[in-house]
Amino acid sequence: MIKLTGITKSFGRQQVLQGIDLQVEKGEVVVILGPSGSGKTTLLRCINYLERPNEGRIEIGDFEVDCGRASKKDIYALRGKTAMVFQHYNLFKHKTVLENVMEGLVIVQKMPKETARRRSVEVLEKVGLGEKLDAYPSMLSGGQQQRVGIARALALNPEVILFDEPTSALDPELVGEVLAVIRRIAKEGITMIVVTHEMGFARDVANHVVFMDGGVIVEEGAPRDIFNKPREERTKQFFKRIMPEPAYSI
Amino acid sequence: MGEKFDIGYVFTFFPKLAGTLQTTLIIVGGALLTSLIVGFLVALPRLYKVPVLQRLSQLYASFFRGTPILIQLFLFYYGLPEILKLVNIDVSRAPVLVFVILTYGLHTGAYVSETIRSAVASVDRGQVEAAYSVGMSGYQAFTRIVMPQALAIAVPVLSNVILALLKDTSLAFSLGVMEMTGKSQTLAALTNHFVESYISLALIYLVISMVLERLLIILERRLLRHESRAADPFPVFRRERFRRIRQWFTRERSVRLREEAQ
Repeated sequence: MIKLTGITKSFGRQQVLQGIDLQVEKGEVVVILGPSGSGKTTLLRCINYLERPNEGRIEIGDFEVDCGRASKKDIYALRGKTAMVFQHYNLFKHKTVLENVMEGLVIVQKMPKETARRRSVEVLEKVGLGEKLDAYPSMLSGGQQQRVGIARALALNPEVILFDEPTSALDPELVGEVLAVIRRIAKEGITMIVVTHEMGFARDVANHVVFMDGGVIVEEGAPRDIFNKPREERTKQFFKRIMPEPAYSI
Repeated sequence: MGEKFDIGYVFTFFPKLAGTLQTTLIIVGGALLTSLIVGFLVALPRLYKVPVLQRLSQLYASFFRGTPILIQLFLFYYGLPEILKLVNIDVSRAPVLVFVILTYGLHTGAYVSETIRSAVASVDRGQVEAAYSVGMSGYQAFTRIVMPQALAIAVPVLSNVILALLKDTSLAFSLGVMEMTGKSQTLAALTNHFVESYISLALIYLVISMVLERLLIILERRLLRHESRAADPFPVFRRERFRRIRQWFTRERSVRLREEAQ
């Protein structure tokens, strides 16, 4: 279980997160929606300390950290329990697909090379890249690169995988293959927090939808409730703007 | 005026000059090692924006890039012992070569630090974040992810720096170091065959430069092996063009053959 309490973050004078409380049960897929600038990516980055929150508490399982005074050790511990998939993949360009996935296992988790290799191959096969082990990222399509990104996160065996707009940088025809992989691992019961603009995906896969705007959570709940009968005016506006066609809801 | 030109001297000077090649290479090697260490240390405060050290490293780079190497040699050789004498350190017995290597090392280091700084800055920040996200420390992210890529980016520029260093060492002669250029001056003066001596000297520098260049290209290729050919549009474009040209030729010929047949 993951529990965030009172997370705040400001860049200079601009307060991007104004006290976020969020609870994620084990095995749940949480989708965070919201207009750009609403703080959803920042929130995600706060969970593994790529951004340092100003205040608040983060609990993952039985590990707990007070963001105001997290030590280096706390940060490494937190990162050990989370993994991230980035919008721009951020693969290590000088390493092969296999090495990209093995890197964290060997260097951080100190797994023996042979074990790490076996684990990495297994995960890469799961995302459909068993044939591309020795390719370098520059030889792959965007969709394949993002699947390597997912494999890299998955191999670490984290308590939660954080997805930061995983399909936003992809050509439209490549979005499907990446979403299919995320769907498949969601079914395996891995806890995921996903920031995305893919409404169809949110509707099908999410157990819980969070709508953010202006650095606060405006509304949250089951996808059926949020999509079909949002309570807040701001949420209704948002859906109206991104899904204007009535044909959509039929 | 010298003696009448005699090509034979070029070949007799060759082995004699090559005998002092060792001294030149010692200066290049020593200075290169010094410059890499100094350049790296000086680049760090600017990469991490350390307040006072950052200014100092800028000052260092401006001095060594903004003054002629010959003046730097004189300053270090004649000036440094005087300054050290003030604090009761006697370096008058230190071999000239030490001063020469130190000066060239610091001079080249200024260029190396600039190269390292820009190479590190050009590795995209996202990869560092990815390294952090899998749990690496700052040190691990730097040595395992940033450094190897920065090195590959830096090698072409470093090649220029190394070749410049090789040629610059010819000035060490002005402090009386008997390296290749010094030796060629001496041989020329002894035999009165100036041009032959300098031709011979130029040939040796050229050969070493070419060998170094070749080695550095091999190194660069090896470090950049992750940049796929497919990602580079040019070869594809060229292949496409060749195909078109061939098509054009074959079509042309088939038309001509048909015309002849009629």
